[in-house]
Amino acid sequence: MNRNFKNLVIFLGPLVVFVSLFALIPVIGTFWISLFRDVSFLPEKKFVGISQYVKLFRDGQTLRSIWFTFIFALTSVFLEMLLGVMAALVINENFRGRNVLRGMILIPWAIPSVVGARIWQLIFRYDYGAANYVLRGVFGIHINWTATPLGALCVLVVADAWRTTSFVAIIILAGLQTVPEELYEQGRIDGADLFKRFFHITLPAIKPVVIVALLFRTIDALRVFDILYIITNGGPSGATTSLSLYSYQYFLMGDFGYGSAVSVILFLMAFLCSLFYLKAGRFREAVS
Amino acid sequence: MKDKALRRIFLCLGIVFISLFFLAPFLWMILISFSQSPDFPGGGAFSPTLKNFRDILEIKTLRFPAYLKNSLIISIMSSMIACIIGGLSAYGISRFRFRGKMIIVLGALALSMFPQISIVGYLFKFMSGIGWINTYKGLIFPYIAYSLPLALWILMSYFSRIPGEIDEAAQIDGASPWQIFTKVAVPVSLPGFLSAFLLLFMFAFNEFLFALLLTTDYRARTVPVGIALFQGLHGEIPWGYIMAASAVSCTPLILIAVFAQRYVIQGLTRGSLKG
Repeated sequence: MNRNFKNLVIFLGPLVVFVSLFALIPVIGTFWISLFRDVSFLPEKKFVGISQYVKLFRDGQTLRSIWFTFIFALTSVFLEMLLGVMAALVINENFRGRNVLRGMILIPWAIPSVVGARIWQLIFRYDYGAANYVLRGVFGIHINWTATPLGALCVLVVADAWRTTSFVAIIILAGLQTVPEELYEQGRIDGADLFKRFFHITLPAIKPVVIVALLFRTIDALRVFDILYIITNGGPSGATTSLSLYSYQYFLMGDFGYGSAVSVILFLMAFLCSLFYLKAGRFREAVS
Repeated sequence: MKDKALRRIFLCLGIVFISLFFLAPFLWMILISFSQSPDFPGGGAFSPTLKNFRDILEIKTLRFPAYLKNSLIISIMSSMIACIIGGLSAYGISRFRFRGKMIIVLGALALSMFPQISIVGYLFKFMSGIGWINTYKGLIFPYIAYSLPLALWILMSYFSRIPGEIDEAAQIDGASPWQIFTKVAVPVSLPGFLSAFLLLFMFAFNEFLFALLLTTDYRARTVPVGIALFQGLHGEIPWGYIMAASAVSCTPLILIAVFAQRYVIQGLTRGSLKG
């Protein structure tokens, strides 16, 4: 054994062992389980090949879950990017209390997602929620938010945006701080107004950062679970059951085979996004 | 000059909107936690009380103090171990030349982006087999694995900023990589370790899905699962207790976000953007 190899084992061994045991092998294991009929109360595991995947695409709820997961990720990430860029522009300005505002932005992101979900669940309650209280006072209406698929989607998107916009804002802020002041100076001399300066100078300059934040958020939004579990529990009648939640429901019933097959579909969707992310983030260059 | 006025208007609108959107729901939580009943917007009056806080700390069957203890132990243990392992590997990757380096780094990064659900089913079966369900280690180990890539990435960006000449000088003096790591690299990168530790602590403290599936009762259950599963005696949702428990468990996280803001933001940006 040469010394170099010994050093590699000391420094990188623990990482490889941990990640293999508790992340890599479980992912492969999940795929393996999905090829079996593996129900905890049936005595025998039976190899069924890809037949659970065939069943998956004939299962109306799976297709609905794929659709919902996709729509949720699209709308929530869009809203988060919009608000995130806005918030980043604001905290990039110089004004009194800027640090206070920055700390404030971090709060929704810092607290547990479960707590955020509980807060929004209460706010959007039909009978004594604050949202309906305001609506009743201003417009004289009240809405049973979580009773319709669209209303439930709105509540979930708002709850998700509340928690994760902060993350987007912080990442974009880092991008904004690298834009040289001279560029704006030049723009002003050329007579570009506020909007022109934003669309022609700021936006192109922060585009790489925006793309990284966008992909990162998309990957995270695809695996949404916590807020659904609390606020809608997948309802009304399965309309907001994401792939994560659907898979979890099968695990809960003890059907690990089919639950794993559902989670493999989600895994493939997320994996595709992370390939783009790894490329856009230029991580390869950062390593070498 | 029109430009400047416009800018001011946007800035003011932005500040108002941010304060309302980000802060109001949080303040609502605080308000409800101090309220006799959660339904005062429906017509009742707000009457302040400390009863919710007293109850969650004193009523034995709610088990909230146990959840809080579990959460703190599990989060601190897992983020400390992940920082140590992450530090070792970040140093190894930034200093040694070897084949397969890229695979390890990009592989670890990709792993951290796997949906938790595609890991947890297998983990549940595996841990049932070895009797780790509802134990601290049953959560600590997966948390370490899941948060390691973030620690790795943050610390790599710190180590890569230490000039190579320092290492070379130490090497010429006969120091081993281990000595350079512990005597040079770690001391100058302490802010990075703090950054990584705080972010990993927040991740572990807030994690829900693993904790939901891998614990069964107060002996290992964490705060988020406790808050998610709080039930009243008659099936109603005990909003006062939920919000009081939320307020208590948010306190350490908010202290971190406010007083260690610099480290959190640094960790976040270095963890997701290169260098």
